Amino acid sequence: MATLTDARKRSLRREMEELLGKGAVLSDPEELLVYESDGLTLFRALADFVVFPQTAEQVAALVRLSNREDMPFVARGAGTGLSGGCLPAEGGLVISLMRMNRVLEVDYANQFAVVEPGLVNLHLSWAVGPSGFYYAPDPSSQQACTIGGNIANNSGGPHTLKYGVTTNHVLGLEVVLPDGELMWIGGKTRDPQGYDLTGLFVGSEGTFGIATKIIVRILKKPQALKTVLAVFDEIDQASAAVSAIIARGLIPAAMEMIDQLTIQAVEDAFGCGYPRDAAAALLIEVDGLAAGMDEQAARIMAACREAGARDVRVARDAEERELLWKGRKSAFGAYGRVSPAYMVMDGVIPRTKLPYVLRRVNEITAAHGLRVGNVFHAGDGNLHPNILYDPREPGIEARVVAAGGEILKVCAEVGGSISGEHGIGLEKADYMPLIFTGADLECMRRVKHAFNPRGLCNPGKIFPSRKACGEAGIAYRPHPIEEKGLAQRF
Amino acid sequence: MDADLARRLASLVGDRHVLTGVECSPYVLEGRTPEAVVFPGSREEVGGVLVAAAGAGVPVTPWGGGTRISVGMPPARPGIVLSLKRLDRLVEHEPADLTATAEAGMTLAAFQAALGQRGQWLSLDPPNAREGTLGGILASNASGPRRHLYGTARDLLIGLTMVLADGSIVRGGGKVVKNVAGYDLPKLAIGSFGTLGVIVEATVKLRPRPDTDRLVVAWFERVKDAGAGARAIMASDLIPSALELADAEAVRALALGGREGAALLVGLDGLPEQVAWQSTELARLLADGARVETRVLDGEERDRVWQAVGDLPRRALAETTAVMRWGVLPTQVAELIDHGGDVARRHGLGAAFIAHAGVGIVTAILGGGSGGAAANTVAATLGDWRALVRDASGHATLEWAPLAVKERVPVWDPPGAPHRIMQRLKAELDPSGILNPGRFVGGI
Repeated sequence: MATLTDARKRSLRREMEELLGKGAVLSDPEELLVYESDGLTLFRALADFVVFPQTAEQVAALVRLSNREDMPFVARGAGTGLSGGCLPAEGGLVISLMRMNRVLEVDYANQFAVVEPGLVNLHLSWAVGPSGFYYAPDPSSQQACTIGGNIANNSGGPHTLKYGVTTNHVLGLEVVLPDGELMWIGGKTRDPQGYDLTGLFVGSEGTFGIATKIIVRILKKPQALKTVLAVFDEIDQASAAVSAIIARGLIPAAMEMIDQLTIQAVEDAFGCGYPRDAAAALLIEVDGLAAGMDEQAARIMAACREAGARDVRVARDAEERELLWKGRKSAFGAYGRVSPAYMVMDGVIPRTKLPYVLRRVNEITAAHGLRVGNVFHAGDGNLHPNILYDPREPGIEARVVAAGGEILKVCAEVGGSISGEHGIGLEKADYMPLIFTGADLECMRRVKHAFNPRGLCNPGKIFPSRKACGEAGIAYRPHPIEEKGLAQRF
Repeated sequence: MDADLARRLASLVGDRHVLTGVECSPYVLEGRTPEAVVFPGSREEVGGVLVAAAGAGVPVTPWGGGTRISVGMPPARPGIVLSLKRLDRLVEHEPADLTATAEAGMTLAAFQAALGQRGQWLSLDPPNAREGTLGGILASNASGPRRHLYGTARDLLIGLTMVLADGSIVRGGGKVVKNVAGYDLPKLAIGSFGTLGVIVEATVKLRPRPDTDRLVVAWFERVKDAGAGARAIMASDLIPSALELADAEAVRALALGGREGAALLVGLDGLPEQVAWQSTELARLLADGARVETRVLDGEERDRVWQAVGDLPRRALAETTAVMRWGVLPTQVAELIDHGGDVARRHGLGAAFIAHAGVGIVTAILGGGSGGAAANTVAATLGDWRALVRDASGHATLEWAPLAVKERVPVWDPPGAPHRIMQRLKAELDPSGILNPGRFVGGI
């Protein structure tokens, strides 16, 4: 895209205001600042415009306008993403879906809902809750993040251990393709004919187009649930307990691990009832039928005790359960009490490798003189090491990024992945060669080309720079878009 | 076949692993004999075969167990059958990770047997597990009754290796249960009927085998009543693993024990306490307001009935002339079955129906009417069924029919707007169009 002259910018702004109405187009640098990063503040990039459509037709018109102007565009939900995925890496248009936030249809008998992309995740569960239903994927940011953003990242959450991630709950999508055509892929019925474009679209990080309507499954609320807290004096014991529970033939609804640093931060901030001196705690939830619930809890508690837990108990009541979950889901916020900034990693490993990898995480961060807190989805091996740092300390951010890279390398070495739910975005693009070959990436490029041949739809994401492809070891270096002066890291 | 290509194939996989001429007869598809059948012994050899075929412009049909090979339009030209038979190893099973990796030619039965030794299973139960291979099940998106609770291949496949037409070996996903790195190539491969690449290896999520597994049969006078029963179960606290609705014809074929009428077949598994409570609750729920008989099956009897459910398309009627699969809303299932039966009778044909009632997938089996002019009657009935389903905003696939019928009724619905993207995906991954050309939706 050629740099926009001021005159051209003004005329584009007028054109978009005619399309969307006054107050739906931002172009002043000060207003645009709010949209220069997502939840990962290491990266920043300024858009030329931020626009707020209210209908699918408006989104399609904006995409056609972008095509006409050869201007990149990217969809944005609540901006809670953690990989820089919704940043306008090459400038252009940020299309905010926050004004498209309605529940359009709920069919309880057939157990689905049709929603708009800007609907906040938790608001869907609120909407269907009175009828005894809920929406299962529950990212920790569910009070703010949107279903559209969840589609882009194939978001997970604690309860995805039993219920699966976003892709397992999406039946169909109305999408605006990168060339501006509006169409439905998938639908209300199962096994639609042809390639599974819905499955491909979910998790494509906004590079295949923009979802404007979303059909999701809604589930009946479980009859009963039980939450178990197991406290350990050693992290290895907690890791062993995770495997022991699986070995007993149980798949809990959720199985979360919280380490000492995190427990202390959470207790300082909220006082949720976790013991401050524990090396680690497991928060385990079983749900489903009331019948057999005691037996399941008993098996879990026995497995924890055998693994060496010093204390194992069932949450007394709904109040205690909610407090424990508040501690878990607010852990990221609590880090703010112990550190001015942190960077969260999102590697995934086979569950059996937990003890080894957690030890390596601690060694790696210590070697870089950094502190790390772990709070993560232990049941499915999705780690979230949070590297704490003070951005005022010169040179520290490069060390944080270097340590993060080494952690991802360890995840890859044990047969894992570099992202379980946060996405590749800008942040991890150059780490893709850790887990994919050149042929794998070339195949993905071809798939992208089928949807997004001009590359205007969310450019600069997912794929490594050419330089990174040939490299065995990965160290910190400027991202290609930084080199082009389009975005800044730190 | 071109002598050069024949020599090249033999040198790639070894003489012993190439069949030609009359030896190809077990691989005749819709009356067409392939030019050769090759049995590569490694993924690299698969790549070699594809490159050779592409170079010679000869189409390739990937072949697993052959159980669903006749789904889709017949190949315009026979070409080469690429059998995955020799790629049948269990690569890795780590019980504590609840994951396993196997080569595509491994049969589902062999895979389940290996997993079962460690108390686990792949929660996918399509028919013909003994012959059906993992690769074929994924490529044709085959599923069975337990999809009601456990989902389909798209919910269980976490990693996949596929060989593209240019011989490149590509992997998507991984071997961890949660993974968003890169595009979801496994989803793209599922249900692609071998038109984008040859699946050579798959990694799946597993489940512990349930302590208890029961099948409860509930008889109803009419399909409509069974449909109401299914809806009541869906709205209740029950968590069945399967919820099948069979019409009277299907019930007769399943030999459930002499009673007439429609039935629900409800799978209940889990801890003994869970299964016991659900059995009682199910009987109470269905007895509410209607006279319903239920019977609980276990052990061999249970296995026999589930097996019979899978075999139903072949066995339900004295003479099956076509099998169609409908995708509709769960609440539409009973009514559409009733209408579908009426339509068949109007054409003078018989029909039997069994449905995954909770997810709205109906298998519609058409019987009778063989001989010269009959293909027209069968085709007309199928056309009416398709219209019926289309009017209900569903989709209908002709899963099986003689060639004479397929020539009159399209296998797939007319493609919609997304077809443009599907064609582009095909062109990107198989630019010379050698993988199963013409078999798939909209002529892909």
